[in-house]
Amino acid sequence: MSFEMSKRSLFAATALLAVTLAAPTAHAQSRAETLRYVTGATVNTLDPNIPGSTREAFALSMSSYDRLVSFGRKQLNGKWVFDLDTITGELAESYSVSPDGLKITFKLRPDAKFQDGSPVTAEDVKWSLDRCVTAPILGKAQLLTGSLTSADQFKVIDPLTFEVTLPKPDKLALPNLATVYPIIINSKLAKSHATAEDPWALNWTKENAAGSGAYIVETFKPGEQVIAKRNEAWNRGTPDKPAAFKRLIIQSVPEPATRANLVERGDADLVIDLQASDVQSLEGKAKLKVISTPQYNAVTFISMNNTIPPFDNVNVRRAIAYALPYDDMFKAALFGRGAPLYGATWADGKPPSGGYPIPQPIKLDLEKAKAYLKEAGMPDGFSTTFSFNVGQAATAEPMAALVKEQLGKIGIKVDIQKLPDAQMSTAINEKKLPFFTEGIVAWLPSTDYFYRNFYTGKQRWNYSSTDNAELEKIAQEARFEADKAKYEDQGKALNAIHFDQMFQIPIWQAAQDAVMQPTVDGYVYQFTRQVDYRNLSRK
Amino acid sequence: MGTIGATLVRAGRRFVSSLPALFGVLVFTFLLMRVLPGDPAVFFASSPNAGQEEIEVIRKQLGLDKPLPNQLAIYLYDVGRGNLGRSMMTGQAVAKDLKERLPASLELTLTALLIALISAVPLGVLAALRPGSLVDHGVRLFCSLGVCVPTFVSGLLLIYVFYYLFGWAPDPTGRIDIFATLPPQRTGFLIIDFLLAGDLEGWWAAARQLMLPALTMALFVIAPLARITRASMLVSLGSDFVRTARSVGLSWWRIVVTYALRNAILPVITIAGIVFSTMLGANVLVEKVFSWPGVASYALDALLVSDYAPVQGFVLLMATIFVIVNLLVDVLYGIADPRATVA
Repeated sequence: MSFEMSKRSLFAATALLAVTLAAPTAHAQSRAETLRYVTGATVNTLDPNIPGSTREAFALSMSSYDRLVSFGRKQLNGKWVFDLDTITGELAESYSVSPDGLKITFKLRPDAKFQDGSPVTAEDVKWSLDRCVTAPILGKAQLLTGSLTSADQFKVIDPLTFEVTLPKPDKLALPNLATVYPIIINSKLAKSHATAEDPWALNWTKENAAGSGAYIVETFKPGEQVIAKRNEAWNRGTPDKPAAFKRLIIQSVPEPATRANLVERGDADLVIDLQASDVQSLEGKAKLKVISTPQYNAVTFISMNNTIPPFDNVNVRRAIAYALPYDDMFKAALFGRGAPLYGATWADGKPPSGGYPIPQPIKLDLEKAKAYLKEAGMPDGFSTTFSFNVGQAATAEPMAALVKEQLGKIGIKVDIQKLPDAQMSTAINEKKLPFFTEGIVAWLPSTDYFYRNFYTGKQRWNYSSTDNAELEKIAQEARFEADKAKYEDQGKALNAIHFDQMFQIPIWQAAQDAVMQPTVDGYVYQFTRQVDYRNLSRK
Repeated sequence: MGTIGATLVRAGRRFVSSLPALFGVLVFTFLLMRVLPGDPAVFFASSPNAGQEEIEVIRKQLGLDKPLPNQLAIYLYDVGRGNLGRSMMTGQAVAKDLKERLPASLELTLTALLIALISAVPLGVLAALRPGSLVDHGVRLFCSLGVCVPTFVSGLLLIYVFYYLFGWAPDPTGRIDIFATLPPQRTGFLIIDFLLAGDLEGWWAAARQLMLPALTMALFVIAPLARITRASMLVSLGSDFVRTARSVGLSWWRIVVTYALRNAILPVITIAGIVFSTMLGANVLVEKVFSWPGVASYALDALLVSDYAPVQGFVLLMATIFVIVNLLVDVLYGIADPRATVA
């Protein structure tokens, strides 16, 4: 008995010793093969379609699920960004568009497997896309912008061939299938968790990933961390091999200064949401790699509600546009990190391009501002409030102070109103704010899309409550315009109306500052404004 | 036995009498959240294409489309069954979130309180023994500094020095090194779970992780505890029974600790109870700075986005804890001063 005991404890001691000795090397090895990404936000669902999903949840879903197609990448001013015009296959090995543009046929990869080992079939694709346009989820409104609205449009030809039919040729149909929502789900697995009230298994997918993506979620603690391991069988990357990092840690660290410390000390590998001041100082120290990309699919506005007096008067809006201290705001709010949308010179006063957004020929000119105010019949100015949300205080607060100070010079008295995020969204949705700053983002940044979504209708994103018949008509026409030159002209016309009517003032595109260890390679700015973990590797 | 029994009966009676107050808190928070101007449905329907339809879907999902009395009735019914609702923010059941996060907050707060008491009581006693002396002024200065510097400043400062400059402390990201393996969950208190699992290395890692945030919080609450100890000790040292004790030649230790301190400790216990309850809810800044997954930062995040269920759950939890802490203070009173049980 006692002999038995001592033998056992001797064995245990040896094992313990072995473990202790082996542990440090194993730890070091796995550290190099692990990507530790820290963020102020949090992943709140494993299914990006669930209403209320955060951007971090979108980013994770890019890696845990596959879509039929994905965006390529291109260089913009020497930095890699996603490319809307290159659509490559993801689960689709290839695709073809019929000559009349009404049918898109996808050939699926024959070797693609879900994370549980079952093959990906056209049936799964059909179920997943049906779900996207039928269930009460986020994908519905997104796919609508690509003329994908009904399950009848999706057809299984054979287990590896899938066909999408469109009511009319829509150049956004294919790009829409590369966005976050149309994930391809293991339909057999999901269906087994569906219930009568929840036929699309939303409650289950919220907390369980059933995809074929590059990373398999191991631990999911909302508000704390997600840990995922590499899917060795995944081969949808460009060089047809699995993702580079073996393990992925997405950790929520709410304090920005702590995130800066972590990455500077080398404990974190990558962070994209530091304060501009911290980025500035880290860049100065030159120990880390800093990639700043202007968020070319996002715009920050100083917005005016065109239905609330005095902003219903175009001359008041013009007066504001010439009274703002753009350069000072850009420096104070963003430390100059981003792309300004002011201070351009338009030859003969016409927009030089049909893109959106383009820099406008507005700059600080108090004389001009005063003249417009006089023309509006308000030479002595007026009083108004300027609102921003708490979540953006770091940039909006200094901006608001400058707006207040500067507008005071032309007699406009501004009260600054700082609103909690939910209050701000509510007030904007109810069109109650006269004058405020907000941002927009478009996943598929084409001119007509911007104008249709952000300058028409009574919906939330029409910050300026613009209601302009001509603009709406041109934007709707442009949507289905196949001729590139004509589309460009339409874009120019829209930009000209925008500048003339000054619905709201696009001020800049803030930079996405990705700060990473020098060993981290392959970062690409994505349409989600998040990191696509599959792009990254360690040198 | 008699006194213990009496204390228990009293505690039980106290608890029952606090139930209406808890119910009041429940209803009040419910109404308060709905009076606030933010609309959670609009906030959470914030994807690039979400329109009115999405807002309605979320509103329905949250039950916000029903009239207010109905909502309240459903809520009360759910709470009665132990269901605190679902958080939009984390996508989890609130009860589950709170259950996971409460041990983290308790572990931090209790450690901080322990550090605070261990340092505040001796400091207060020392100051009271030599009022007006250099020691007294030193303690006053230390307390003033502790209470003047906001916790997020002292927290960031400690991180800067011990983590960033010297590298002695582990990275300030939560309760345990992200690469470490967790012990099997028994109590939810990591330093206890590691001990139960016999994993000393893990225990040390967790304790190291706990040190800085606990210190930050302790610094902030040492002041009230030390000040109250000092004031109460002064009264007690000047009283007749201490003079008598001195005159009969009892030892210094016996006079100060056994007689003076035991008599002076009542207000300290009261304050400690209050400090504990406040810390638990108000340590949100410490939790944020150290990425501590506690209940306070959870509630703040929820409040910012008008996520009703977590905020209501949090307030209910805090109210319950407050009631329990008060009961505990009562019981401790009885032990410290047997006269208290009579009343």
